[in-house]
Amino acid sequence: MGATITIENAVKRYGKDTIINGLSLEVKPGEFFTLLGPSGCGKTTLLRMIIGFNSIEGGTFRINDQIINDIPTNKRNIGMVFQNYAVFPHMSVFDNVAFGLKNRKVPKDEIQKRVDEILKIVKIDHLRDRMPAKLSGGQQQRVALARAIVIEPAVLLMDEPLSNLDAKLRVEMRNAIKRIQQQIGITTVYVTHDQEEALAVSDRIAVMNNGVIQQIDTPARVYQRPSNQFVSNFIGLSNFLPARVKRNGDRVSVCFQEDGGYEVAMSNLSPGVQDGQTVMAAIRPEEFEMLAGEGPGIPATVVSSVFLGTTTHYFLKLAGGQEVEAIQNSDVWEILPEGTQVRLTVKEKKINIFTADGSEPLVVREELL
Amino acid sequence: MRYAGEKRFNVWTVLTLVLLALFLLFVIYPIGMLLVKSLFTGSSVDLSYFVKFFTKKYYWGTLVNSFKVTVSSTLVACLIGVPMAYLLRSVKVPGSELLNILIVISYLSPPFIGAYAWIQLLGRNGFITRIINAAFHVKFGGIYGFAGIVLVFSLQSFPLIYMYVSGAMKNLDNSLNEAAESLGCNAFQRVTKVIFPLVMPSLLAGMLLVFMRVFSDFGTPMIIGEGYKTFPVMLYTQFMGEVGTNDGFAATMCVIVIVIALMFFFIQKFLGRKFTYSMTALKPMEAQQAAGWRKAASYAFVYLITFVAALPQLTVIVTSFIGTINGSLFTGEFTLDNYRNILSKGNTVAIRNTYLFGLEAIVVVVVCGILISYLSVRKRSVLTGILDVLTMFPYIIPGSVLGISFLYAFNGKPFLLGGTAIIIIISLSIRRMPYTIRSSTAIIGQISPSIEEAAISLGASQVKTFLRITVPMMLPGVLSGAIMSWITLISELSSSVILYTSRTMTLTVAIYSEVIRSNFGNAAAYSTILTLTSIVSLLLFFRVSGSKDLSV
Repeated sequence: MGATITIENAVKRYGKDTIINGLSLEVKPGEFFTLLGPSGCGKTTLLRMIIGFNSIEGGTFRINDQIINDIPTNKRNIGMVFQNYAVFPHMSVFDNVAFGLKNRKVPKDEIQKRVDEILKIVKIDHLRDRMPAKLSGGQQQRVALARAIVIEPAVLLMDEPLSNLDAKLRVEMRNAIKRIQQQIGITTVYVTHDQEEALAVSDRIAVMNNGVIQQIDTPARVYQRPSNQFVSNFIGLSNFLPARVKRNGDRVSVCFQEDGGYEVAMSNLSPGVQDGQTVMAAIRPEEFEMLAGEGPGIPATVVSSVFLGTTTHYFLKLAGGQEVEAIQNSDVWEILPEGTQVRLTVKEKKINIFTADGSEPLVVREELL
Repeated sequence: MRYAGEKRFNVWTVLTLVLLALFLLFVIYPIGMLLVKSLFTGSSVDLSYFVKFFTKKYYWGTLVNSFKVTVSSTLVACLIGVPMAYLLRSVKVPGSELLNILIVISYLSPPFIGAYAWIQLLGRNGFITRIINAAFHVKFGGIYGFAGIVLVFSLQSFPLIYMYVSGAMKNLDNSLNEAAESLGCNAFQRVTKVIFPLVMPSLLAGMLLVFMRVFSDFGTPMIIGEGYKTFPVMLYTQFMGEVGTNDGFAATMCVIVIVIALMFFFIQKFLGRKFTYSMTALKPMEAQQAAGWRKAASYAFVYLITFVAALPQLTVIVTSFIGTINGSLFTGEFTLDNYRNILSKGNTVAIRNTYLFGLEAIVVVVVCGILISYLSVRKRSVLTGILDVLTMFPYIIPGSVLGISFLYAFNGKPFLLGGTAIIIIISLSIRRMPYTIRSSTAIIGQISPSIEEAAISLGASQVKTFLRITVPMMLPGVLSGAIMSWITLISELSSSVILYTSRTMTLTVAIYSEVIRSNFGNAAAYSTILTLTSIVSLLLFFRVSGSKDLSV
């Protein structure tokens, strides 16, 4: 079965710039672990430190219990799939996949057997003798994947493997990658900047920004309970509204300043919140409810709308001028014309509350309640 | 491709026909003349010239000599050029940009200047020879003959191998290297299993160019070969010799050279097609800081080779400032006499001609290059296909052969061009044409046809679109190509030396004849002017193209 990757206090410097400063994480055996973040956040740098293409300026990298800091790449036994496939253009599919086995002095008949086997798993056994120039992007990526896993590496690394493919192939390949990873059970570290891709394939996601891990969690948790403003806006989309805590004994509620009137009772805020404390509410578009007529809620005016079949997206303006986005199931209403006055209520179980600067969550996670 | 409403016979067809006519006249007709002269006496087929050549060892022996020299020089050039390219791409070497320029300069100067400079250093009475003989009390007679020729050609040609291989390595994405490393390859295995096979096609192309260049060069063996006669030397003496010149026999030798060159061209084409990989590197290899013995060894190799390669140029520049007795014996005193000589005696005609002919040829080459590449990419037809093939012909015809064929074709009626500047300008243009057309074709290939279609949809005519959209978009690339052409044109010797008269002498011809007459002082001064021109042009090229790499 797969190996454990343990990274403790990793430091990466380029000249005077420190890209990563004291990063730690652990990838469990057989896990599909994704490093997700905007470009330049250090995710590829970290990946290249694991395989050994980047030097390590501090900290320890372990695979199982072995420290790999000073082991040269070609002895680390880590497979890697590259963004641009890096299929050797002068070798056939078979020779590409057999390349690593030949370097390991595997007997010829076993090479044949193992290559054929892996080509079947990635479903390109019919392309065995083709040259790479005659393969599509998706097929080349399958060759690259087969080549990386046929050597039975302790760990498989993938650096944005789908970013060069077109949209339809990307979905197909990402399902294939997930299927193959589960079939083989290899510990996998996957780098992407595409949040949808990360949500679809990962067992756990580490969201990174500026060389710092913001949150490590399952895809659902990362989406539902982001640990700060960055994560809640990088994964999915959130509207951020300033609000104030009202505390009256055990009764805790959040009052939206916009109007002063709309108040939502909250049962999951951390016990430490103070009466009158200013906070930031992060509300996803689908966590708004749009209502007509009199009643509680934040008054808003429809600015425009986009009909997307099952849902309709509304762009609204609040009284203070702030613009928010809300998603409603299309069957609720006719599409509201521009200028319609509505009031917005929130689904209090789903919304997130952060400290006013957006850095700390104030909602106690469900599993801890 | 024709647009709606376009007539079958239009301005593009006319242009194609005019260009075809020009190439028929200046390429096919002269070569035809060679064939006729070698194969016919009167109106009957006569193979006696071929029989004469292949039965007498005095003649075919030169062909064997040429092969020995060419194969050895090409191999030595690879042995120097490939490691040079790899080291400079993979190891950080201080001053690598200067090294690059020095290497290119040593390639751009005509080979025979190298030959004569090496005689100054390692000849019978050479500077280094004297030091060696004094230090070790030996009687080293200097390098002449086979060894001397191979030394000069290898040092002169390795830069071409270096540029081709270095260019190919630039297109090699580093992830291929990394993939090989992650699959268990060490540094040596990465070179043999991944890098070398992938630069092989470029290496072959470079080798072909070196092969052709060395095979057809006559200046070097003429100067440093002494008794060792190669084929071009024989050809030149047969054609130019004061006694016993024989047109038919010289033409026969020309045909033999063309056949051999064609053979190698097709072998290279065949091999090249067999291993062609399209590669574009997102992240090229990066030069790394080396350490320990690896650092010492690679620095020593790179610096030593560059120094030796630049040594002839240095020698020429230094000796150009040293006084001479009767032009041939250097006195050792620094003076400007050599420059006074070449500038005063009305000898400036060679300098003026070089600049004038070079510039005029560039204009011809650029205009024809743009038109022909446009026609063969955008207006594909049978005619432009033929034009495309015709324009590639000069690529494999050695300069001296072109020169001889021009004299046969244009020295008599109906085309009286012999001895004129026009014939030299045309031969220069024709020789450079294949390179310019290929680079222009590549440039046009980068321009999306939809840009031209957009102009047409906005109401511009096709001609206007070509002049206002296509040509301006091509210009930056074409301009840097033109500077490169200029540098190669001003150092051209082999056809000019056959076509020149005293009025149409160029710098290279002047240097050559001064060397032959042992006027080394003047030769050095002329060479220095040529070298300086090349250096300035090269710097201009780097400025215009904004890149540090050359494509020749």
